[in-house]
Amino acid sequence: MTDQAFWHRLQFAFTITYHYLFPQLTMGLAWFLVFWKWRALRTGGERYAEAARFWARVFGLNFAVGVVTGIPMEFQFGTNWSNFSRYAGSVVGQTLAMEGMFAFLLESAFVGALVWGEKRLGPRKHFLAAVAVALGSWLSGYFILVTNAFMQHPTGHAIAANGTLVVGSMRAYLLNEWAIVQFLHNQAAALVTGTFAVTAVGALYMLRGVHVEQARLYLRHGVIAGAAASVLVAFPTGDAQAKIVARYQGPTLAAMEGRFDTGPRADITLIGQPNVRERRLDNPIKVPGALSFLAYGTFHSDVSGLNDFPPETWPTNIELLYYAFHVMAGLGTIFIALMACACVQLARGRLERTRVLLWILMLAFPFPFIANTAGWITTELGRQPWLIYGLLRTADGFSVVVSSGDVLFTLIGLTGLYFVLGLLYLFLVGREIMHGPGTHAAPSPYEPEAVGGEVAGG
Amino acid sequence: MVELWFGLLCFMLTMFVVLDGWDIGAGALHLIVAKTAAERREVIAAIGPLWSWHEVWLVAAGGTFLLAFPGVMAASFSGFYLALWMALWSLILRGVSIEVGGHIPDRLWQAWWDFVFAASNLFLALLFGAAFGNVIRGVPIDVTGTFSMSLFTDFGVRGRVGILDWYTVSVAVFATLLLAAHGATYLRLKTTARVHDRSERLARRLWTATLIAFPVVSFETWIVRPEIYRAIAARPAAWFAVTVILAGAWAVWTGFRERAEARTFAGSCAIVAGLLDGFAAAVFPVMLHSTLDASYSLTAYRGAAAGGGLRIALVWWPLAFALAIAYLVIVLRSYRGRVTS
Repeated sequence: MTDQAFWHRLQFAFTITYHYLFPQLTMGLAWFLVFWKWRALRTGGERYAEAARFWARVFGLNFAVGVVTGIPMEFQFGTNWSNFSRYAGSVVGQTLAMEGMFAFLLESAFVGALVWGEKRLGPRKHFLAAVAVALGSWLSGYFILVTNAFMQHPTGHAIAANGTLVVGSMRAYLLNEWAIVQFLHNQAAALVTGTFAVTAVGALYMLRGVHVEQARLYLRHGVIAGAAASVLVAFPTGDAQAKIVARYQGPTLAAMEGRFDTGPRADITLIGQPNVRERRLDNPIKVPGALSFLAYGTFHSDVSGLNDFPPETWPTNIELLYYAFHVMAGLGTIFIALMACACVQLARGRLERTRVLLWILMLAFPFPFIANTAGWITTELGRQPWLIYGLLRTADGFSVVVSSGDVLFTLIGLTGLYFVLGLLYLFLVGREIMHGPGTHAAPSPYEPEAVGGEVAGG
Repeated sequence: MVELWFGLLCFMLTMFVVLDGWDIGAGALHLIVAKTAAERREVIAAIGPLWSWHEVWLVAAGGTFLLAFPGVMAASFSGFYLALWMALWSLILRGVSIEVGGHIPDRLWQAWWDFVFAASNLFLALLFGAAFGNVIRGVPIDVTGTFSMSLFTDFGVRGRVGILDWYTVSVAVFATLLLAAHGATYLRLKTTARVHDRSERLARRLWTATLIAFPVVSFETWIVRPEIYRAIAARPAAWFAVTVILAGAWAVWTGFRERAEARTFAGSCAIVAGLLDGFAAAVFPVMLHSTLDASYSLTAYRGAAAGGGLRIALVWWPLAFALAIAYLVIVLRSYRGRVTS
């Protein structure tokens, strides 16, 4: 039985981790497009319009992979987690249906117009298309985070006569405290991904000495927004997230920190290896008192260690949870430092000539993806052994009728398919970046007259 | 309340099948209806930037299914596990081939994605048809209210059935003909010149084939689930669906004779919608019929969400729907008219 649950979990973890690489960039880039379209509309500046046009092409590819890898997510609730669906479907189905009806129908109606329809729509309507897509993508983020927050800290539900969960109060379900905190933290982190991507392309062009005017724009806006977003991820949103975990998931916070003993003046460990069998942290390098302060606001607050909780309530994979949290927090700190340096150089008018910094900014773009992924691993492992915290265990949620063999069959198929999809994405986005803004425009698939004579006649 | 949500779910699935049905049908004919690279771009352009909007109706219907009938959703999705994943793979490949196929003006690149596009759509049409066949025939639900089905067993329609048997394969072929006819009718309305003429010829042939296949499949259905016909005879909602189908058939017939392309297309939509909802009206409240014992069948009442969740969802659903229609109107106004190559 444990084996069967393992394959279901692995498939969901793989598909959701892969999928979320794309929406985070979509949500991060969407507001850049809105901003540039707005500047272009107000000032008539061609460079803003050109920046929006170039990034809309990258956005379109990214969005498409996000859509196709997102569709299986919705269906996995039924295919792989049918006992969970039977038990809580009437609650989580509300937000999944709302996401489709309110957010996806909005996004998908306008994304084609945003990517390919500038000429057809004219500047004002095209700007509105950008706003519609940005709103749609953030709205979908909210609905899916409400769904996740319900699994982390269920609110607004009632238990029906047949033992299943139903919505008791829609207000309490939609305005779950956990959902609001998680949404702000997650969206700030998505903005970090977007700003790092914009900055990296700017740095690349600047280092190569091509598209210099555009590069200057990307660097300027990317670095300013990047510094703001990196700070917001840590404070106040990350801080609030830690406090809410401390309040509602005691063993989780202890496991994230690798803390076994209880007591005041709890330390934060920067590096160290959790040794769960011996119940200690090996080779720790610590900041004294910092955890007490971050979780409760004073240095003398008691922070519970894992020894305080019965082992059956501990997260099931403490080692990975600990590392995921530390990778996320460590990278988040580095992002603030990097973007702060870049902002200083920008303010001094020297960013374009500080080649070392440009190199770092260019090579830094993968790290927000890693930090976001690590953050989600922290969230989801921290919830274990519960599927819905305190209500349903993960071991009781999967589809018993689907054999491990069936799951492994689809998992292997998905791995191959997603590998090809990844190659395709990197190739096409790389190609757009190498072409750069301005000169080249990929033909729109929806405007056949735009396909040049070179292919006509096959 | 349960009846209302059953109706809304049928409506959302009908939206998906009618809207995405023409994309799937046109896609399945892609390699036949368009011969040159430019003509193939024309077909993709006719399908247009709204394909993902069409597909979202499937996602929204999935969410609504979960919200309103969690028990039925859980049993059916896990029971159809392998077939459903194959449909998901096809949806992924279909979406990718539309979006990246036009990206590089290179003959080999486009030839490959045109092939993937046609193959994935053909496979989708067959899979959706087989799925519909399974819902009509029933699935081996046991006393626990769950089932797990192989892709095939002995190809018979009683007892421990598989996803594929002589009946579901027949429905799959019929559905593919119908969706292809629907798609060709759409292309006839939306394109010009050679693609238009080929679509016209194909649409006539495919509608003829559909007309010939319909009595055959109907007879097979009578063998498999005779009670459906008794229900159709007894229920006014089913009479209405039959009227819609007949009106659609009349519109298709006269639309071809009088070259009224929009009328043919409207008729085509009516036929597809009428067939789906006529079936739904006839079997209600049974959502999944059990081939082992009719008393194990999952009904809308048994599988519906408990408590007041359905009432709450009724507050936001109409608002979301009105907004969705508003977006559609705005976008369609920008993409009206025919495409040319």
